[in-house]
Amino acid sequence: MRFRLVRYFTLASVGMFAAVAIALAYFERQQASFIGDMQRQEIGFVKQVQAAFARQQEEGSLRDLVATHEAGNITLTRVVANMLWDRDFAPFVAKVALLPVDHCRAIADVTAPDGRKTAPPEKKACFAELGAKIQALPEFKALDAKVFDTMKRTTVFKVKAFDVRGITAYSSEHSQIGDDKSSNGGWLGAMKGTVKSDLSRRDKFNAFEGVVENRDLLSSYLPVYAFGTDTVVGVFEVYSDMTPMLAQVKDTSAKIAAAARGNEAKMEQVAAVNLDVVENLSLRAMAIVGALLALLFVALFVIVRRADGIIVQQARQREQDHQQLAQSEKMASLGQMVAGVAHQLNTPLAFSRSNISMVQDALKGYELPLKVAQAFARTAARTEGDTVSVNVAANREKLEQIAEDGIDDVGTLSQMLGDTLQGIDQMHELVENLRDFTRLDRAKTAQFDLNKGLHTVAYIARSAIPNRVKVVEEYGSLPLVECNPSQLNQVFLNLINNAAQAIPGEGTVTVRSAVEGERVRVDVSDTGTGIPTEVQPRIFETYFTTKPAGEGTGLGLPIVKSIVAEHGGDITFTTRQGAGTTFSVFLPVVLPEPAAA
Amino acid sequence: MRVKKGTVLCVDDEPNILRSLHWMLHKDFDVMTAPDGHAGLEMLRKHDFDVIVSDQRMPGMIGSEFLREACKVAPRAMRILLTGYSDMQAILRSINEGEVFRFVNKPWSNEELSSTVAEAAAIARTQPAPAAAPEAGPEIDETLDSILVLDEDPQLAGFVKQSIASQARITHATSMAEAVAVLGSESVAVIVSDTRVGRMDTTPLLKVLKQRHPAIVAVVLTADSDVDAVIKLINQGQVYRFVPKPVKPAFLKIMLASAVHKHRELRSTPGLERRHAVQAMPADTEEKLVRAVQEEAMRLKPQAQAPGNASVLGRIGGGLKKLFGIG
Repeated sequence: MRFRLVRYFTLASVGMFAAVAIALAYFERQQASFIGDMQRQEIGFVKQVQAAFARQQEEGSLRDLVATHEAGNITLTRVVANMLWDRDFAPFVAKVALLPVDHCRAIADVTAPDGRKTAPPEKKACFAELGAKIQALPEFKALDAKVFDTMKRTTVFKVKAFDVRGITAYSSEHSQIGDDKSSNGGWLGAMKGTVKSDLSRRDKFNAFEGVVENRDLLSSYLPVYAFGTDTVVGVFEVYSDMTPMLAQVKDTSAKIAAAARGNEAKMEQVAAVNLDVVENLSLRAMAIVGALLALLFVALFVIVRRADGIIVQQARQREQDHQQLAQSEKMASLGQMVAGVAHQLNTPLAFSRSNISMVQDALKGYELPLKVAQAFARTAARTEGDTVSVNVAANREKLEQIAEDGIDDVGTLSQMLGDTLQGIDQMHELVENLRDFTRLDRAKTAQFDLNKGLHTVAYIARSAIPNRVKVVEEYGSLPLVECNPSQLNQVFLNLINNAAQAIPGEGTVTVRSAVEGERVRVDVSDTGTGIPTEVQPRIFETYFTTKPAGEGTGLGLPIVKSIVAEHGGDITFTTRQGAGTTFSVFLPVVLPEPAAA
Repeated sequence: MRVKKGTVLCVDDEPNILRSLHWMLHKDFDVMTAPDGHAGLEMLRKHDFDVIVSDQRMPGMIGSEFLREACKVAPRAMRILLTGYSDMQAILRSINEGEVFRFVNKPWSNEELSSTVAEAAAIARTQPAPAAAPEAGPEIDETLDSILVLDEDPQLAGFVKQSIASQARITHATSMAEAVAVLGSESVAVIVSDTRVGRMDTTPLLKVLKQRHPAIVAVVLTADSDVDAVIKLINQGQVYRFVPKPVKPAFLKIMLASAVHKHRELRSTPGLERRHAVQAMPADTEEKLVRAVQEEAMRLKPQAQAPGNASVLGRIGGGLKKLFGIG
């Protein structure tokens, strides 16, 4: 499975960018809502501040108003005291003080269903009787008229006067005369010399000039001192009308509230605008970040695509280099083999050539004796008797030459030609083996006699490896093996060459074959130095070589391994330092399916 | 029966080859054969041989090793090595340790091989045997020995000077013409040379020199070596030592001492140089060499005309005259 760089990059980065975008959008949203919350809080705070301010303002105004009126009531009381008390009220109150009240006070209070103590009707009737007694006093009418006269057309709506017992001696509202206020806080305070005022709203109120409605009234309990002393001789209660002032205060408060509302509205508006701006900004920020991410993705994509292209190209280049190296490895072992074979050919060639040229020379030497023999034979044939006489006078010189010429006898010549024939046979054998080895003229896959192939390879290898290394062949009987013989030849030649190279001096390379279970096993053993432990795990590694640079390609054993694997086989090795190494190749008798194709 | 011209020992692991050699040589020589180097050495100890013919590639002891031992056991015997595909290392060892007379390529020509054997046998029979090489190198005598270094690179000359210090006159020539001039004016004992100087091939000079003045001992130091060229240098130039560059000063010193010793031996023993007789060269070799040296001399002219160098051209002329007998 190829690693699809571009696809994986695209998936991963798009996913990642999406995640970043979502996270960013989430944070932007959070920020916007935080800002919204903050603005709302701010508005709420401002509201609170404004409300507090308005309340304080209103309360302050009211306080000022009450204080002002209290002061006014005090002044009024002084005036009234000056004007009315000594002359009109003092004698009147003194008379009232004489009227008994203790019998009324003795009537016990009852507890109302809501838990408060109220006066029972007979107690009220008792006090009302007292009131009637007070009104029946002769000075009452004049006093009442005088009070009405004095208070008419003022803001004072009601005036009450209490004696030192707390009994209402006078009230401009006559029905209240005779009421006991001795337990009233205002009266008690006034008796101690303090002024107590109370602001209240009345729906209906009996004022001097009749019944008024919806009025804000300030009631003040005011102590009346005996002239020139600190002794309280009576208490005034004055109700004055505050409605216009209060209306003014309320109006101011309403204005302030309106202004506050305006401010709030404005703030809310500004907040909304701000929020809009923030949301806009965050939208824009997101758009920009999104655009940048997209740009980044495009840039990375281009880079990754380019890198992918380069990687693919490099892989292709590497594959090409590998093939080239494999080719050169093949050429190198071929070259070594050719050199060995050439040397192997050279020996029979040398003596055959020498022998033939000697036979040729000898044949020249035979020319004359042959002629002589022929001439003699002819002469003998013409003669009928048993004796032939030859006149050698004319040819004595030639005969002497024949006698002196030390030409080899025919037996030697025959031996020479015999040797030559042997040499030619050797060359023929070599050529046959070469043909068997290369198998260029055969089918690629065949039912192959592995022992024959091994013998051919051993034969070829002998010519290429140094003479000091012997090659021993020990073959067991094998079934025919379905394989690519040419490739297996390459495998075994490589293993035998390696084995020979592992032997520094004299030694033996043994090639063995045997059947092992369903498979055929071929061992190539050497008596060499063994494979160093640190090298062992790497020997099948591509490009790994212990030879100096330029001598080994580091492809020999990897190619061997891949060929064996293609045949559905295995290759293993055992090695002992200083004792030698055995490579074992296991091959199935029948090719596995994919390799057979 | 004819009179045999000498005794020959043939060594080869291949019996067919031995038989063939036997058949070829037995008419003119007493031929004995050995199947390997050890047997060959055994026979050398028992018998006196004029010529040894050995194959290079043999199991057990290779040819050059065998010849090195043969050199010690039977220094009188001339050594011929049969080579097929040999590695450079073995060839160099056979030169420097085995002092081979000829290399003969396999497959050989019968005529050439038998004439070479005949030549070697004749030399061995008529000329004195070399004394065994002394263990320690002789002292080099300044008055007697002059060493010519022919190399473009001054480093080698420096090396030579360093290794034998003040004991010999050392002349450094950077061109063949210069070398010829030196050879004309001085009596050179040893020439140390690369195979190429500039674009010029120095091997013809070495070959001609050996042919004309066999007493001058040649040592070749080179970085590029080619088996065929080396074989020719031996067969046609009888180079004393052939060493691949770079060379270690200690080794150079021993080698130069040995070369000087060889030169003295050649001088003092008349006829000994016949043992280093060279093969005939192509006819025009000498002519070409003279022309090349003259051309180079012409190129050197502008330098030569400079004051103080006025005599250089004259010296080259003198050198040519001395070397080749021409003006």
